[in-house]
Amino acid sequence: MSLSFIGLLVLLPAAAAVAAFAVGRARGVAEALGVLATAANLALAIFAFGRSGTWTVPWAAPGLELSLRLYHTSAFVLLAAAAFSAAVALYSIRFLAAKRFRHLFYGFLLLSLAFVNGAVLADHLVVLLFCWEGLLGTLFGMIAIGSRRAFRTATKAFIIVGVADLCMLFGIALVGSQAGTLVMSRIHLPLDSMGALAMILLTIGAISKAGSMPFHSWIPNAAMDAPLPFMAFMPASLEKLLGIYFLSRITLDLFALRPESWASPLLMTVGAITILFAVMMALVQKDYKRLLSYHAISQVGYMVLGIGTAVPAGIVGGIFHMINNALYKSGLFFTAGSVEKEAGTTDLTRLGGLGRRMPVTFACFLVMAAAISGVPPLNGFFSKELVYDAALERSVYLYLAALLGSFFTAASFLKLGHAAFLGPRSPENDRVKEAPVSMLVPMIAIAATCVLFGVWNAFPLRQLVQPVLGGWRLPGHDFAGWPANQLLVLVTLVVLAGAVLNHVMGSRAFGSGLAAVDHIHYAPSLKGIYAKAERGAFDPYNWGTAAVRLFAVAAWKVDRAIDWVYDRLSPGASGWLGQQVRDAGDGSYPRYIAWSLVGALVVFIVLNRAG
Amino acid sequence: MLPLFLLVPFVSLLILNMLRGRAARRIAFTLVSVVALGQIVAVLWPPARDLPATEPLSAFLALGLHSDSLSQVLLLSIGIVVMAAVAVGRATLSYDKHRVNFVSVLLLSLAAMNGTVLLSDMFSLYVFVEVTSVCSFTLVAFDRTRDSLEGAFKYLIVSVVATVLMLVSVGLLLLVAGGTSFDAVANALRNGGASPLARTAVAAFVCGLFVKGGVVPFHGWLPGAYSTAPPSASVLLAGIMTKVSGVYGLIRLTVSVFPPNAELNWVLLLAGAVSIAVGAFGALRQTDMKWLLSYSSISQVGYIVLGLGCGTPLGVAAAILHLFNHAIFKSLLFINAAAVEQRTGTTNMRLLGGLGSRMPTTSLTSTIAVLSTAGIPPFSGFWSKLVIVIALWQSQHYAYAAFAAMLSVVTLTYLLTMQRRVFFGKTAAHLLETREARLGLVLPEVALALVTTAVGVLFPWIVGTFLFPLGGIR
Repeated sequence: MSLSFIGLLVLLPAAAAVAAFAVGRARGVAEALGVLATAANLALAIFAFGRSGTWTVPWAAPGLELSLRLYHTSAFVLLAAAAFSAAVALYSIRFLAAKRFRHLFYGFLLLSLAFVNGAVLADHLVVLLFCWEGLLGTLFGMIAIGSRRAFRTATKAFIIVGVADLCMLFGIALVGSQAGTLVMSRIHLPLDSMGALAMILLTIGAISKAGSMPFHSWIPNAAMDAPLPFMAFMPASLEKLLGIYFLSRITLDLFALRPESWASPLLMTVGAITILFAVMMALVQKDYKRLLSYHAISQVGYMVLGIGTAVPAGIVGGIFHMINNALYKSGLFFTAGSVEKEAGTTDLTRLGGLGRRMPVTFACFLVMAAAISGVPPLNGFFSKELVYDAALERSVYLYLAALLGSFFTAASFLKLGHAAFLGPRSPENDRVKEAPVSMLVPMIAIAATCVLFGVWNAFPLRQLVQPVLGGWRLPGHDFAGWPANQLLVLVTLVVLAGAVLNHVMGSRAFGSGLAAVDHIHYAPSLKGIYAKAERGAFDPYNWGTAAVRLFAVAAWKVDRAIDWVYDRLSPGASGWLGQQVRDAGDGSYPRYIAWSLVGALVVFIVLNRAG
Repeated sequence: MLPLFLLVPFVSLLILNMLRGRAARRIAFTLVSVVALGQIVAVLWPPARDLPATEPLSAFLALGLHSDSLSQVLLLSIGIVVMAAVAVGRATLSYDKHRVNFVSVLLLSLAAMNGTVLLSDMFSLYVFVEVTSVCSFTLVAFDRTRDSLEGAFKYLIVSVVATVLMLVSVGLLLLVAGGTSFDAVANALRNGGASPLARTAVAAFVCGLFVKGGVVPFHGWLPGAYSTAPPSASVLLAGIMTKVSGVYGLIRLTVSVFPPNAELNWVLLLAGAVSIAVGAFGALRQTDMKWLLSYSSISQVGYIVLGLGCGTPLGVAAAILHLFNHAIFKSLLFINAAAVEQRTGTTNMRLLGGLGSRMPTTSLTSTIAVLSTAGIPPFSGFWSKLVIVIALWQSQHYAYAAFAAMLSVVTLTYLLTMQRRVFFGKTAAHLLETREARLGLVLPEVALALVTTAVGVLFPWIVGTFLFPLGGIR
């Protein structure tokens, strides 16, 4: 297997990326490259599915080898990543038409795909880290190409994710020293003190890639500044796939997380907080893309919560939710892109009544909004039920938090759909028409998959998700089909009904769909908190930058002091000394002789000291 | 072999002066070059050391010539610097008729310096040091300008102090030891070293040498003498003459004559440190290249004396190595100054600037010399300074070691200031027509720059063949 299809999975997108960067702005070439390469990659991924093998290339030093390993989990993530890349590549043709940075976008897209494939296939932690950091680079590039303002956002994303990746780097070093090897399939560490530290560090890397709190705050900025397909591509799908994939590797293989371990409540808490806080922020957004971006954060909470429960239902639910979320979230961003392209804005105050003009987009939106809200029988319903089930098994509070998250999710999508697609149409939207076919096709495909994965959930669960855990972890379990716990389903339905009721009453009371949740937004105790949150008062990045600024000021003061020593004190003192010496040598030989005699006297005295 | 180092320059001097006239003028520079070159070859080429048929000469002279590795190093340095001085003299001497006079003094200096480093007798040492000094006065005053006469006069006056001290010392030593040969004095000091008379004699001789070497506070004469002398004389004086007449004596006496003496080491360390500081800070505020380089010489002599003050074989070896390196890079710097002076008519740094583009070779070699002086690797000055600091550290003089290391920053400062003000930056309008120095100056520049670089780069080899043998002098 000199150059097997495993190596090709990395090399093909990488080569295509180089070509895309090289061709420049030539019309249609980068697009063609992108679509063809992602399609070829998809074909390869389908071919790889169900196979396994390794591909090892000796590299650099002994012990450092480029080892790629294909097995079920990696094949599953590869397939999903390939499908989303192909969809995004197709979608972006028209969306990015006439943008100056088209070729750059496609180049970064293909390069990201190569890195994702590499990270997923990597069996050596250093190879994984290399691809992981490579994604950091493409992430920065894809945000930054948008505009001048986007550069700040790109920097923010780079710093946040970079810091997390640095933690992961230390984690990997620690794992290497503890386990004595960096080959993932050979690492099985206990959660003792060093192992715990390593696990926390690695987990930070994984959940920051997935966009969980507290590493989330660049995503809403990116939603506004970066090219929209980027949002569908990175935060909505590929980064989730990769982050949750690695989290599952950490908890399943590297450390073998047990429910009684302290790390399990920690992960669950992070998940629950992420669900709740992000969805609360999503609820009050007045922009289509920004609202979606908070959901991109919130949904990670379900996955982290699910995997953190460390019980089979939770892990299966978390991973199932990962693929489901990637589906409807990228699909929802696609609908946002259609609206942005046709209406010229995503500001909900200026949208409205688009449903008539864009029926296909609206229909897709309906399906996927229902899926994300957990309406049966769509895919989101089934994965959420699994997570609920597992959360309830661990703690009723976590279950309630997740349930509350569902309520707000549903409420915010009712608001979004109402504000964008229903209600009165503003005159400026009169000429809006349906999006072009190349943008509709990926959208429809994704919406259809959402329905398929819900109605026939046995396929994704049995073929994709459950094998990740392996049969030995799931003795006698099969989560396909209707949820086992009917009571939980009933509660979920009641909550959804509550959300609808809330929306109907809210929009009646405040006169528009957009204002339907104003009673929550402006509730006495929440009003101030929301105002602060909108100003970024709770953004860890802002805390960090403030701390860094404080440190920078202190360092600057110290630096000034040191500079003063160098620029003022030492030249001044040495200059003064020099002047003294210079003035002393004034050419008066009596003085020279006097010096000599004094010097001689000193020498005489010193040398006679002992006598 | 050894007598030839004295006789050849002396006989050449006689021949030159018997010829006089045009013939002498024609051969003068060639003659002294050949003599100096012969000296370099004689030191470096092992077979030359065992030249036969010199026994009768030794017997005839009966001076008790003695040679060890210290003498060899100095003979080599003397040969190199005299070669450089000859080249500079040939390129810069204005009047044809002065040539023979200049070369005569040069040959006499050569003989005197060789004698100084080869003799093994206190009185003879004193005599040859005085001959060297007289040659120095003559060289400083050679141009007979107002400034140079003043400089020579002050040198002479301050030297008188040294003369008195050394002569008194020799008299006292004769009294104490009953003889003035190194061995006799060493024996007497070892046995009766505690006597006040002997101590006074040692102190007086050391003070005399301090004056000759320009160690602070005996340095008053030095900047004026170096800077007002004609360019070729500056090269010779700064490069080797004052080292031979002053510093060599210190090394020789500490190594071969005086018994180990904590007080003397204390004096040497203090004088060395003060010289380093005064020289360096003095150089910092100079506006004239030659004055700056003169103060720099004081500072570098300070390093040599500091190394000597360690009282350990490594310190002595480092001092000798630095003496050799200093001879090379300081000669080079003075040649650079001569080149600048010849092409622009001044060494006042306020009037200079941006000569680097006009005189690339001079600028480059000056940069090398500057870096070597400041102790930047891979040039030779780095190693000798490093070994001095190591020797100080090993002999537990931590404060002096730190001081020596820190003051190299000041060295770098004043030398880079000079380099910037003279060579770097934009060429001043009135200097746009300046051309590179003539070949007679460029060649020694390049040769000396190569030597200082080669010694630095090949140092690992030098350590084995040069430094360790030096440590074992006696």
